[in-house]
Amino acid sequence: MLKALWAIIQRELMRLIRQRGRLLSAMVRPLIWLLVIGSGFGTMMSQYGTDDYQQFLVPGLLCMVLLFGAMLSSLSLVYDKESGVMRMLIIAPFPHYWIILARTISATIAGLFQTILLIVILFALGFLRLPIDIPLFLLGLVVTSIVCASAGTLIAVFSKTLENFAVIMNFVIFPVFFLSGALYPLKNLPTFLKIVTLINPFSYGVDLLKHALLLDMPKSFSAEFSIFQDLLCMVSFCIVALIIACLRFSQATVMENLANLLSTPKHE
Amino acid sequence: MTLAIQTQNLGKKYGNLQAISSLHLEIPEGQFFGLIGPNGSGKTTTIHILSTLIRPTTGTVLVAGHNVVDDPVAVRRKIGLVFQESALDRTLTVEENLQFSGALYGLDHRLIAERSRKLLDLFDLDGKRKAKVATLSGGMRRALDIARGVLHQPRILFLDEPTIGLDIINRRRIWRFMKQLRQELGMTILLTTHYLEEAESCDQVTFLRKGELIGQGRPDVLIRELGAFILEIESDEPEESIRLIQPQLGSPVQEGEKLFFRIPDATFSIGRLQDELQGHIQSFNVRKPDLNDVYIWKNSALEGGNTAC
Repeated sequence: MLKALWAIIQRELMRLIRQRGRLLSAMVRPLIWLLVIGSGFGTMMSQYGTDDYQQFLVPGLLCMVLLFGAMLSSLSLVYDKESGVMRMLIIAPFPHYWIILARTISATIAGLFQTILLIVILFALGFLRLPIDIPLFLLGLVVTSIVCASAGTLIAVFSKTLENFAVIMNFVIFPVFFLSGALYPLKNLPTFLKIVTLINPFSYGVDLLKHALLLDMPKSFSAEFSIFQDLLCMVSFCIVALIIACLRFSQATVMENLANLLSTPKHE
Repeated sequence: MTLAIQTQNLGKKYGNLQAISSLHLEIPEGQFFGLIGPNGSGKTTTIHILSTLIRPTTGTVLVAGHNVVDDPVAVRRKIGLVFQESALDRTLTVEENLQFSGALYGLDHRLIAERSRKLLDLFDLDGKRKAKVATLSGGMRRALDIARGVLHQPRILFLDEPTIGLDIINRRRIWRFMKQLRQELGMTILLTTHYLEEAESCDQVTFLRKGELIGQGRPDVLIRELGAFILEIESDEPEESIRLIQPQLGSPVQEGEKLFFRIPDATFSIGRLQDELQGHIQSFNVRKPDLNDVYIWKNSALEGGNTAC
């Protein structure tokens, strides 16, 4: 089973490296935010006494890469459902829920891989300022990546097609990112938005990285929840999301649909 | 005799649709077994149940000694599957596909490499090792799919319409590969097909019709039992021809203007019959029966009439 898991991870990473465009845009996207939005808003904010807006953005942007990397990777399960890979997986000698877990793990690693690349770039450009709480930083990256991957898996097992990819981008990825504290502190938000951010598991990932990275930030820009609360919320989310995804995937009707995909010849 | 596959009273219902009902199958180890029937006869549903992908509604199913409901993982470990739709990753190369699939069965890299080399050689694919699957022709892709299906040396191989959608040359190639594979590995093979001439090399065939088993036996025996020859007649006035022939050869199977009669005895005087029919018929043809005829006669007996499907 470990060999199978390793093969699934290897395949995911291989695809990631081969799709240069995907990798490049994953790196460029946060840099644009940092350099364009970051300096634009930074100038405005400096009038109010903080000139560290770019620094404030770093944890959020690292999380953004995890969000895009891990979630898009686990969402590709929907495409896999209609492709030969899923056929190989459902006939392989392990329980079917294992497919869900293995895909989530490989998506987590795909997200982390891209984030590590970005960390190297940010460090080289001088945007990653010491001191950093390194153990907490690593823990935060891993847990947040699992959150993003599990969320993607959960969506993937319930959706039949992802034909309209823009829908997922507009209604899932962007709201999750904007309402997470990645771009601005949460405490002054109107109540309704504040509730949404509290439900959003991604907020706690951003917050955890703020704990690790923004050690000498002014109080108004530093982390807003406790480390314990961050971890508790994220871990519970992952457990619940994965249990639901596994149960759903093992349902007889889902398997019947998958089985039918094996036997509807298209006559190429 | 050890049984590779055993089903008792197997049934599957989708909502109100009874896809298969009370199916009893016993397939001895090492046999080349053909499951035959038109589309919608329940072949694919049967294969999906035997390969643990869907659950039966009633009955028990043992595959390689394991119950498909209680221990699907153990069953999947011992079977190989080649479906109508290929189970390959089009974005990976031929070699990478085999490595990926082999790893899913827990085989190590070197063993997979060694076995793939042999299989790709056997299937004339050794020149395509580094080619992306998307660039392969339909026939090559099917061959690779079969290589993938036997890479872990399963005890039972399921082939669901392995030649569907292929042209005649590629179909023959696939059959040549299958023959070589059986000689090399000696596994049990369960084949479904609706090209009946392909099933003639099976050790045993079973006919399915609307989810029910309607006949079973060795192809050569079934064909011999049907008759020595088949008489095919084309006639503008079929009733008249039937009136003349029926007393001698029994009821025909009718397909439009064509009439098929069984000639049970090789000593039957065909010449005299031909004289009697002079003026009533457009064509007169006597040929050896094949598995198609067996199926058509079994089917028409069940339909109660004299029209074939």
